[in-house]
Amino acid sequence: MSVEELVRFDGEALGHARHTVLADLSLGLRAGERVALLGPSGVGKSTLLAALRQRLGHRVAWCPQEHGLVPPLSVYHNVYMGRLERHSALANLINLLRPRRDAWRDIQALCGELGLEGLLKRPVAQLSGGQRQRVAIARALYQAREVFLGDEPVASIDPHQARRLLYMVQSQHATCVIALHQRELALTHFDRVWGLRDGQLILDAPARELTLDDLDTLYPDAHSSDAQPEPA
Amino acid sequence: MSAERAPGLLAGDSLNLRLARRSLGLIALCLVLLPFADLAITTHDPWAELERMLAGLLHPDMLATESLPHAIALTIGFALWGTLLGVVLGFPLALLSPRSRLLRGSCAFVRAIHELFWALLLLQVFGLSAVTAIAALTIPYAGIFAKVYAEILELTPRAPVDALPEGVGRLSRFVYAELPMVWARLSSYTRYRFECAMRSSVLLGFVGLPTLGFHLESAFREGRYPEAGALLWVFYLMIASLHLWGHRRLLPWIALGSLFLLGPWPDIDGALLWRFISVDLWPKPLLEGNWSGLWQWFGEIPDLLPAIGNTLLLGLMGTAGSLVVALLLWPLASRHFGNRPTRMAGKGVLILMRSTPELMLAFIFLLMLGPSMLPAWLALSLHNGALIAFLVARHADAIVPGSHALPASSRYTYELLPRLYGGLLALLFYRAETIIRETALLGMLGIATLGFHIDSSFAYLMFDQAFFLLLITAGLNIAVDALARRYRPREIADTPGERDRPAGEATC
Repeated sequence: MSVEELVRFDGEALGHARHTVLADLSLGLRAGERVALLGPSGVGKSTLLAALRQRLGHRVAWCPQEHGLVPPLSVYHNVYMGRLERHSALANLINLLRPRRDAWRDIQALCGELGLEGLLKRPVAQLSGGQRQRVAIARALYQAREVFLGDEPVASIDPHQARRLLYMVQSQHATCVIALHQRELALTHFDRVWGLRDGQLILDAPARELTLDDLDTLYPDAHSSDAQPEPA
Repeated sequence: MSAERAPGLLAGDSLNLRLARRSLGLIALCLVLLPFADLAITTHDPWAELERMLAGLLHPDMLATESLPHAIALTIGFALWGTLLGVVLGFPLALLSPRSRLLRGSCAFVRAIHELFWALLLLQVFGLSAVTAIAALTIPYAGIFAKVYAEILELTPRAPVDALPEGVGRLSRFVYAELPMVWARLSSYTRYRFECAMRSSVLLGFVGLPTLGFHLESAFREGRYPEAGALLWVFYLMIASLHLWGHRRLLPWIALGSLFLLGPWPDIDGALLWRFISVDLWPKPLLEGNWSGLWQWFGEIPDLLPAIGNTLLLGLMGTAGSLVVALLLWPLASRHFGNRPTRMAGKGVLILMRSTPELMLAFIFLLMLGPSMLPAWLALSLHNGALIAFLVARHADAIVPGSHALPASSRYTYELLPRLYGGLLALLFYRAETIIRETALLGMLGIATLGFHIDSSFAYLMFDQAFFLLLITAGLNIAVDALARRYRPREIADTPGERDRPAGEATC
């Protein structure tokens, strides 16, 4: 059985202008696969996601960390920005002054499902950290694309909520790559796990073949509590 | 055995020692050149004059000025429209200027010429009309907005733009992901500029436009001090109550309402305007291509070099004076010194001195002391010193004192000043550009700086000479700004937060 491969890296080096973050990277993302991306913070998860985003172009719903939001604008406008490219500049301008009816209706429904009801008019600056993350997810969902790429979208959300959000994301997107630091979720909610350590992809295996102990090998000091800083 | 020797006086390489040497150098240079300045007191009895003025301030006569409400309305109308049109022109310039050196140069040029000089120039074409008043504010403000807005826009965070989906147009990207991130800073600077415009609008009265300053000048000049006192109080009240009536929702209505008062609008004769720009402003020999004639034309400009010398000297004296005044006065408004009543009083004095424009202060001192550089020096030092002292006191209040119960003098010298000095000096050097701009302007009061010759050239309708002197003034200003920028202590002033707040508030 051959499944369409959306992206393939063959021994490539990823990084910024002078500094290689991930060396000699080989992996493939197949359509319909839900991938969890694990690894200590600073190892290059964001770099890999950015590279995937670039390759996939218009097929990507992009959910960066919360600093991609615009704090002075309302929740509605922040979510609307997910489809900014689909309207004319004039329509976008008018929407700033007076929300579009259709967009308002869709975003209201979406935010209701994400537990943001009644907050549409509130500036993002006034929301809690968890609420902001949900706004970032709402924006990505509103993009309505084929592949979901998320950079720790459920980092500061409690486990129960996190499961619900992952379920929502995955029911809309057959294919997704999501960076996580909750290892349990990687095993229960994903088909495949990519593990990064020391600038290398050291783990690329189906989730059902892995145990929590396998995942622990990704983290240099998994058992000493203070050596693993919480990702921001 | 080699014990380390104690360093000599001011020897060492620490930041504060370097700054101390730099500022003592400035003061020493000022003292060396001081004998060249004309500091004579020519009035008979300055103290009696001051007493009469203070009596006027204490017993103001509110009803003496005819059409006071009209003058107030015009002052506000000019300021509002001047700022508004300055924003309309300056904002697009701010977007374009990072890409064009020519544009940046032109903006530096238009803001190097003081509002009042612009008024003098425009007066020749548009007469004593609202067009002159508003354009005199709009033109330099467009240059200022272009620079400051560009600096603010440059600091826009990148993350929201990077998060946008592919293919978003430029305009949409700008209004959704960039503009909102800096909106608060842009609007707070614009408000501050409006306050500056209020002061400049009052000053426009000094060239004859019918604002508050017109009545102020004539009341002072004719010794009607109770009336002058009343007008001063009105001025301070207008500035102090700005936050009450200057509300975002209210301002558009004030702007529209003031349109009815600003007329009558002048008839603009296009041909005459063109003649003024293309012929009158330029030396005749230059237009005729007569080079030897041009040389002769230069020779006929009276006292050009002494005027430039005086402008620079007064600018230097004003800068050194501001430094001393700021060092002496900032504790007055700081929570680390004195008690609540002294602080209230200190803050009041500083705010009063910083809201009174240099020209007005210099004018008042001139009436007391007679025409020399002394009144201008006092005015520059007090106004700028107070302004810097106020901002330094605010910095000081953010410092939590480390050790306990030091006597006031040690608290000042050991604990606070070392942490504040860099910021103070940065503000002073930032301010140098404004000081030299004001110095040239003070010539209009009869002090022998460039402004004096500009004013009299205009009075004799020698527009070519006036325009040439304006160009010299602008060039001088740009050169001093470049020099001050070089010596500005960068180590402290360039953290982003520090950079745009106090510096932004030290530009007018």
